[in-house]
Amino acid sequence: MSFLVLDNIKKSFGQTQVVKDFNMSIEKGEFVSFLGPSGCGKTTVLRMIAGFENPSDGTISINGKNQNRLKTNQRNIGMVFQAYALFPNMNVFDNVAFGLKVAGKPKEEIETRVKEMLALIRLDHLADRYPYQMSGGQQQRVALARALAPKPQVLLLDEPLSALDAKIRVSLREEIRQIQRQLGITTVFVTHDQEEALSISDRIVVMNAGRAEQIGTPSEIYNRPNTRFVASFVGTLNIIEATVADPSANTVKVGDNTVRLREPIGALNVDDKISIALRPEAGSLSESAKGDTAIVGKVISSHFLGSVIRTKMDVGGNQISFDMFNAPDAVLPQPGEVLTLRFSSGDFLIVRD
Amino acid sequence: MKTQKILAWIAIAIGVIYFFVPLIGTFEFSLRMRRGEYSADAYQSVFSDMQFRETFGFSMVMALLTIIFGMLLVVPTAYWVRLRLPQIRPVIEFITLLPLVIPAIVIVFGYLRLYNSSSWIPFTGSTSGTNALLVLSYITLSLPYMYRAVDTAMRAIDVRTLTEAAEILGAKWPTIMLRCIFPNVMSGVLSGAFITFAIVMGEFTMAALLNRPAFGPYLQLVGANKAYEPAALAVIAFAITWLSMGLLQLVSRFSKMAPSRP
Repeated sequence: MSFLVLDNIKKSFGQTQVVKDFNMSIEKGEFVSFLGPSGCGKTTVLRMIAGFENPSDGTISINGKNQNRLKTNQRNIGMVFQAYALFPNMNVFDNVAFGLKVAGKPKEEIETRVKEMLALIRLDHLADRYPYQMSGGQQQRVALARALAPKPQVLLLDEPLSALDAKIRVSLREEIRQIQRQLGITTVFVTHDQEEALSISDRIVVMNAGRAEQIGTPSEIYNRPNTRFVASFVGTLNIIEATVADPSANTVKVGDNTVRLREPIGALNVDDKISIALRPEAGSLSESAKGDTAIVGKVISSHFLGSVIRTKMDVGGNQISFDMFNAPDAVLPQPGEVLTLRFSSGDFLIVRD
Repeated sequence: MKTQKILAWIAIAIGVIYFFVPLIGTFEFSLRMRRGEYSADAYQSVFSDMQFRETFGFSMVMALLTIIFGMLLVVPTAYWVRLRLPQIRPVIEFITLLPLVIPAIVIVFGYLRLYNSSSWIPFTGSTSGTNALLVLSYITLSLPYMYRAVDTAMRAIDVRTLTEAAEILGAKWPTIMLRCIFPNVMSGVLSGAFITFAIVMGEFTMAALLNRPAFGPYLQLVGANKAYEPAALAVIAFAITWLSMGLLQLVSRFSKMAPSRP
């Protein structure tokens, strides 16, 4: 049986249903990210796990125990907030010790555990500092140590990196992942940043309008999006409107180009409309590229973005972007130039709504 | 630009003269009790007056009780409104502002009609009851200042997230209030307390109409019957107010409860 189970969870505020039939099973020690745009219900699900909100329907259980009737302070869950939420009147030591003191642990045990936690986040030299004397990154690490100190069964991270600058964000997310692996703690991470979710999760739940659109590993979510929403939300994706050319041969027409798809088209007829998706990094202009199919289009624009060159071209009324790695001798395609983009038929995904 | 600066300085100078000249005049007059030379006789006379000590002590106790019970009312109210009932915030703000709009004499007449000795709650039927009513009326009077001071302090620390952070670490309500919220709104509580103290020490209407031996009615009594002592008392009253304001400034300046936020 899974460690954390969200069974048919629903949540309404007045007439508005913000979480609809949410089902999810999380294994012990797993790192799961809830990814979605603002207002999709991801934070509400997290707050229901924490006990700050009660589900309108459905059950939440941890280690086989129903949590619905338990108050927040009875659930033994750790949480890191976006706004750090350190107690301003306490120094680092007292902040980390708070949960242990509340639990009535002996003084020696508190001291040992706090020192252990401060060593884990490499801030043992700042035990006497007050929150206002620390940087955002340091405060968030203290918040993480404080959440972990009472040995919670589940760790909840509510957009903990959103308030930090880009560099600290990357280093702290790696640190969080490393600590999570080291302690083997079941973790639920809420973010709207796809790069964050893709880089540190065992599994990702992509949420939209209160529903889980897709649950899968980062690779599955990125390479095999199930719905148009997942395809457009995770990564950059070209959505191409095509028509079925020959269902028996599994081919579609994009402008004047006929391309073969690896994924079965299904029960569609000739000239039926079909949406297909292509990642910008999938195509190549090189004639030696290992592609079993190609499309020809006219260049609209081309931009140098540092590590890549992004070119936009028109193919039968569809605008398709593709990326090339930068090289010292790379030449930017010119507007109006006709190019042949090669790729594998397996790179095309059929988009279903 | 230069003219504007000069005009600004002239405006400040007029303000300072308007405020300080009467004060200096009062102080100078309070030192003239002894004919032909300056002395502290008026102050000596005031301090040696038994009634001064009694009324001052009475008002001090009333101020202290007002602060304690006022804070017991205001801190949980402000906290609850911020945390659970933000929609009734405008209503609470309106209620707390009413004592600024309704004259003290109207409030105290209302109290006397509602709580007289023949009413259902006969506060004025005994001395301790009248004292309790006086404390309640002082709480009403200081509500606009107390509520705002506490509410501003709560706004600065994001009480909702701090409460949730404490709650998820296993804390119950008494612990959350005493260890996480109260110490962080202490600067607001103290600011409210000092303002309340200054108001109560000089309040006249409520104490006079409830016939209690407070410092305000004593000031009026001395002012009507003596010459130099009222000036000395006015200076003392100013000193108390300024001391309260000074402490308020100190508290807010040296408060290290800076909020933890991105």
